[in-house]
Amino acid sequence: MNKQAESQPGHPQQPTHLPATSPLQAGQPPLLEWHDVTVAYGRRPVLWHIDLTITTPCLYGIIGPNGAGKSTLLKATLGLVPTAGGRVQFWGQPLAAVRPRLGYVPQRETVDWDFPVNVMDVVLMGATSRLGWFRRAGRRERELARACLDRVGLADLAGRQIGRLSGGQQQRVFLARALAREADIYLLDEPMAGVDASSQEEIFAILAGLRDAGKLVVAVHHDLRTAARWFDAVALIDMRLVAAGPTATVLTSSNLQQTYAGRLGILDELSDAVARGDRTS
Amino acid sequence: MMATWVSATPWEWLAAIGPMHGWAVATAAVVSACCAMVGTVLVVRRLSLLGDAISHAVLPGIVVAVLLGGRPGDLGVLVGATAAALLTVALTEFFHKQAGLPEDAGVGVAFTTLFALGVLLVTVSGSRIDLDPGCILYGILELVPFDTVEVAGWEMPRAFVSAVVVFLVVGSGLWLTWRWQVFTAFDTEAARAAGVPTVAVTVGLLAGVSLATVAGFEAVGAILVVAMLVVPAAAAELLVKRLHHCLLLAVGLAVMGAAAGYLLAWKLNTSAAGMMAVVLGGEYLLAVLVAPQQGVLARGMSSVLYAWRVQCEDRLAAAWRAEEAGQSAPLPASLVAAAAWWWLRVQGRVEPAQSGARLTSQGRRDAELIVRSHRLWEAWLGRHAELPVDHLHPPAEWIEHHLGTRLRQRIEADLGRDVRDPHGSTIPPERG
Ligand SMILES: Nc1ncnc2c1ncn2[C@@H]1O[C@H](COP(=O)(O)OP(=O)(O)O)[C@@H](O)[C@H]1O
Ligand SMILES: [Mg+2]
Repeated sequence: MNKQAESQPGHPQQPTHLPATSPLQAGQPPLLEWHDVTVAYGRRPVLWHIDLTITTPCLYGIIGPNGAGKSTLLKATLGLVPTAGGRVQFWGQPLAAVRPRLGYVPQRETVDWDFPVNVMDVVLMGATSRLGWFRRAGRRERELARACLDRVGLADLAGRQIGRLSGGQQQRVFLARALAREADIYLLDEPMAGVDASSQEEIFAILAGLRDAGKLVVAVHHDLRTAARWFDAVALIDMRLVAAGPTATVLTSSNLQQTYAGRLGILDELSDAVARGDRTS
Repeated sequence: MMATWVSATPWEWLAAIGPMHGWAVATAAVVSACCAMVGTVLVVRRLSLLGDAISHAVLPGIVVAVLLGGRPGDLGVLVGATAAALLTVALTEFFHKQAGLPEDAGVGVAFTTLFALGVLLVTVSGSRIDLDPGCILYGILELVPFDTVEVAGWEMPRAFVSAVVVFLVVGSGLWLTWRWQVFTAFDTEAARAAGVPTVAVTVGLLAGVSLATVAGFEAVGAILVVAMLVVPAAAAELLVKRLHHCLLLAVGLAVMGAAAGYLLAWKLNTSAAGMMAVVLGGEYLLAVLVAPQQGVLARGMSSVLYAWRVQCEDRLAAAWRAEEAGQSAPLPASLVAAAAWWWLRVQGRVEPAQSGARLTSQGRRDAELIVRSHRLWEAWLGRHAELPVDHLHPPAEWIEHHLGTRLRQRIEADLGRDVRDPHGSTIPPERG
């Protein structure tokens, strides 16, 4: 639908630390690809025709206002909400074939932080998630979990109840849990929300480290100032894809105007009508 | 009689009560352990209401199984009841997802309907089955020892045997799937994204709940089995902070509650089930009182300690200000202030002098930091909040007890060198 939607690997303004990418090599499918994805809650569509391709490992930002459908996009990508149309492919394969290679960090407020587990317990959830039925955590999983806690700088807090952590520490626990999955694609929902500036830098450094190790990191983000600095490429979303591509070309004032100020009342109205099973006025 | 009551060991006690009561206590203990195990996961998943629903909805399943020739306490009846329970859950999901009913209302509709259906079935089939609506509500723990089966040459109450089987099934099921139970309970979506079969995990848990519930049904009845599911688990969640610790503690509390409740009821000649629920409630109240962080006592204690620290620091600061003005320290104006004064003396922060008391060098340093915090905060507020000068003192009186070295330095840096507080006093420097 949108010509800019295709990310452009060879674009001249691409940040230099991206691998010097050739255009898509023949026979090598893109890392992550959304084909005309539409998502509805009940009968109300909240995301329309997302058509987006990520070809190289990078830090990819999903940006848009509240209620734009960013979380929904991640959930649909992971099969947590059904799509009403379209498909998502990873390395050219469907979700079921690649699930162990994906790590997910949900929005922090989606869980109850008073839940009776400690930091280590949470990271172990990630470390053991590949074990099948009836298997329990062993030495390898424990060591992996400990190493991941170390990477996010929380090794000292392994025994602490999660409710007694600061927001930034909670976010890093979630990150450690995803790291413990040893994934190749990471999908993070607002990893910087409710995190103080210095923790944000630390989290960003960890994400950049993943990118440098050849992983794809897709993060939902809402702060435009930091987005411009952190992400190699971004997609602007507001119920539909507004623009996508290298950060500098996408975060233009006219695109932002479209995303943040000029929500298409048309889609809103249409969603309501579709939900009612009715016509718009 | 009174002597045994007071001085006997639990063992002698059991011997004194005799095998019949012993069996009843044992059955109650195993049943409540089952309920507490599944209840722990139910409570942390905030599904207590569903536990309530299941405990009622098993009734028609039991009745149908009995009509088909099962006997209360039999394993066949357990299976029928579990099926009924899972049907409730499915109905609830249906009402919620398809008919758009809020989830709690969906639960309400499903379980009341099924329970009512069960009651109707009982009354309609009347003499053909030996289920009595009273037993269904309140249980028949006292009669449990009289309906026995033979297991490996031993004669045991049928209900006890069923309860032990349920205990083993539910316990090993939880043990084997524990990792997934915890992940699913804490963060269902991330668990699903990670490939955990969350639906199977949840259905397994609910099947466990219905098994435990049916086992508990006969002992304590439909109403009180809810107490066994929810109360020990809720108490344990207040007291310990890891899920498997919660589970073990909940089981301990449940067994204690069941045994103590039964014996008390026997002593006082009242309903065993009722007394067990009351004892469990008592345990919960106790947990609310003594819980380490959110507990009433812990919170009361910490606010008393806080008030005391504020009082002591205020006395110190007052003495410092008096010294600054060249006066002697003000006399304590209240009993609490006098006590704080005395405590400061014990600590060596003030010492007696000709005219009352004065600060020691240690006390002077401490006091200086408090006054420094106070004046820094007034200055900072004066700059950053649009407050009239006479409104700055009360917030500073409060915040002076909360500023640490690092934040004081940041505030000072923000204000720049050589500032005074808005009343013109100098701000003492940091001297640890
Ligand atoms: N579970 C749900 N059921 C129904 N509507 C939902 C649900 N979750 C989100 N929505 C709606 O979908 C839209 C997009 O939500 P979301 O993806 O959470 O936005 P974002 O993450 O961009 O803030 C919002 O209008 C929201 O109200
Ligand atoms: Mg969101």
